Amino acid sequence: MDILRALGFRTYGKKALPVYKEICVLTVFFLVLTPIIHMYRITDFMIFCIYVMSFDLLYGYLGLLSFGHVLYLGAGVYISVLFSIYINSNPLLSLLAGTLGGGIVAATLGLIVVKLDGASFALVNLAFSQIGYFLVTSTFQRLTHGTDGISSRVEAWGFLNFSDEYITFSFILISMLLVFYFLRKLTSSPFGVLIRSIKENETRVTFLGYNTFLYKWITFLVAGTIASFAGGIYTLYVQYVSPTVLNPLDNIDPILAVLIGGAGNLYGAIAGGLLFMMMKDWLSSHFAVWQWVLGIMLLIISFWFRHGFTGFVMAIRNYQRKKAVTYDQDGAQG
Amino acid sequence: MRLLQVDEINVSYGRARVLHDISMHLNQGEIVFVVGRNGAGKTTLLKTVMGLLKPWKGSILYEGEKTLGIGPVKLAQKGLRYVAQDKKVFSGLSVKDNIALAAYSNGVSMPEAITNVTSIYPKLNDFMENKAGGLSGGQRELLLIGRALVGHPKLLLIDEPTEGLAAIVIKDIFRILVHMKTENISAIIVEQNLSIVNRLADRIYVMREGHIIKEIDNSRQAEDSHELENYL
Repeated sequence: MDILRALGFRTYGKKALPVYKEICVLTVFFLVLTPIIHMYRITDFMIFCIYVMSFDLLYGYLGLLSFGHVLYLGAGVYISVLFSIYINSNPLLSLLAGTLGGGIVAATLGLIVVKLDGASFALVNLAFSQIGYFLVTSTFQRLTHGTDGISSRVEAWGFLNFSDEYITFSFILISMLLVFYFLRKLTSSPFGVLIRSIKENETRVTFLGYNTFLYKWITFLVAGTIASFAGGIYTLYVQYVSPTVLNPLDNIDPILAVLIGGAGNLYGAIAGGLLFMMMKDWLSSHFAVWQWVLGIMLLIISFWFRHGFTGFVMAIRNYQRKKAVTYDQDGAQG
Repeated sequence: MRLLQVDEINVSYGRARVLHDISMHLNQGEIVFVVGRNGAGKTTLLKTVMGLLKPWKGSILYEGEKTLGIGPVKLAQKGLRYVAQDKKVFSGLSVKDNIALAAYSNGVSMPEAITNVTSIYPKLNDFMENKAGGLSGGQRELLLIGRALVGHPKLLLIDEPTEGLAAIVIKDIFRILVHMKTENISAIIVEQNLSIVNRLADRIYVMREGHIIKEIDNSRQAEDSHELENYL
């Protein structure tokens, strides 16, 4: 019963912006970006942001650092492509299949991995991610066409024509906002409080009568399902996939994005996703050895901006507030 | 009515035997104190009752049921609450969220849980939205005890509630313990402050080097109070 209560999506009247206003701000922000950055790049960025938000739920909120989150993105990609080829070419059904399929993978593997923590959790996830990569490139080569990749057979459905840049952009923007809304509600609900408390001290949470394994598994399942959803959307967008989407080396991307943006904060996940992709784009077009520069920038962030971009913004805001209070007090005394 | 019965439990950390044939009991509504020097095994005893440690010999009956092999989650669901010695709250969460965790695990509404906690320590009202990590040691202890009282627990296990706290906070804690006694809430409390022990105890167990060396009944406290000091 406590799960149902915990998933009750109730909040405790925090002073933050109401979620609908946050969604308006995000919508305007991404629309304003369109004249500055090409729409197809922003579409790419938004898919990555969904993926980073899913990772942030696992790492930023629950405190489990996974080195294998790309597996769920890849599962979503491959399941939706194969669904469109062998079962049905409807884009929404293909997306649903990818999301649910990836969710089932996360639910199954979650039963094993959430019993672990720390380095063993990270490395077992990496191992599963490697297994996924080799399944796609070798074992199921006849189905997936191995390293040659495979094209989706998704067709237009009503007005949902994913060859149209504007429709694709709008669909993915709405999808990202829906994921943001869902995660915002989830993380500010009692469930969110509970997973943050597990991050702080899991043993103490058990003293309160909570089965922490169950809550960790649910969080892992939700994070994996959202990553698969991002994978499914990616398939609709690019309509071709290759095993590079499952490249185990890419497991580092969401980790870096969350660190850049600030962990445990959905704005941080979006800001980190955007900044990481923009840095990657800009650096790769200006430096031959761009990974070096990215590495140095990440070192700077790790040493001087430990709470990421959002932490830095919060620190400035707190400093200004403090200054304003001091100024008011001085004025009152004078 | 017998709430807890501990019979000849033995607990070891690796090869080091920490508890030797410990037997004790607690009736409904009683407050029992465990006293003894550092390293006597008092915290180990509480942890064993809470299901965090498993005795290799002996048995524990809670409400007539054997608890060996039942973990802390199930025991907490059966009404046991453990307030550890280190005064650790969920420091990254607000005071309100700390209370919310207890409210939801016990099926108590938030307003009721907040009232429960603030009725025993009204000053917490001023810190509800603050991070619990910013509270003083005393405030943290009061929050922890208040949180443990949410949802009408059957048995509280409190480890050194007054350790390292200022006299004014000790007074608050004493007031809460008196409130527990009047409300018939059962508790096993590890405590070194003998003035609290003597005023509230229904029974006192004195521990030394993993053994219970003396059991002092409420009626004999006055005559044994000087002797008690010798054990600390």
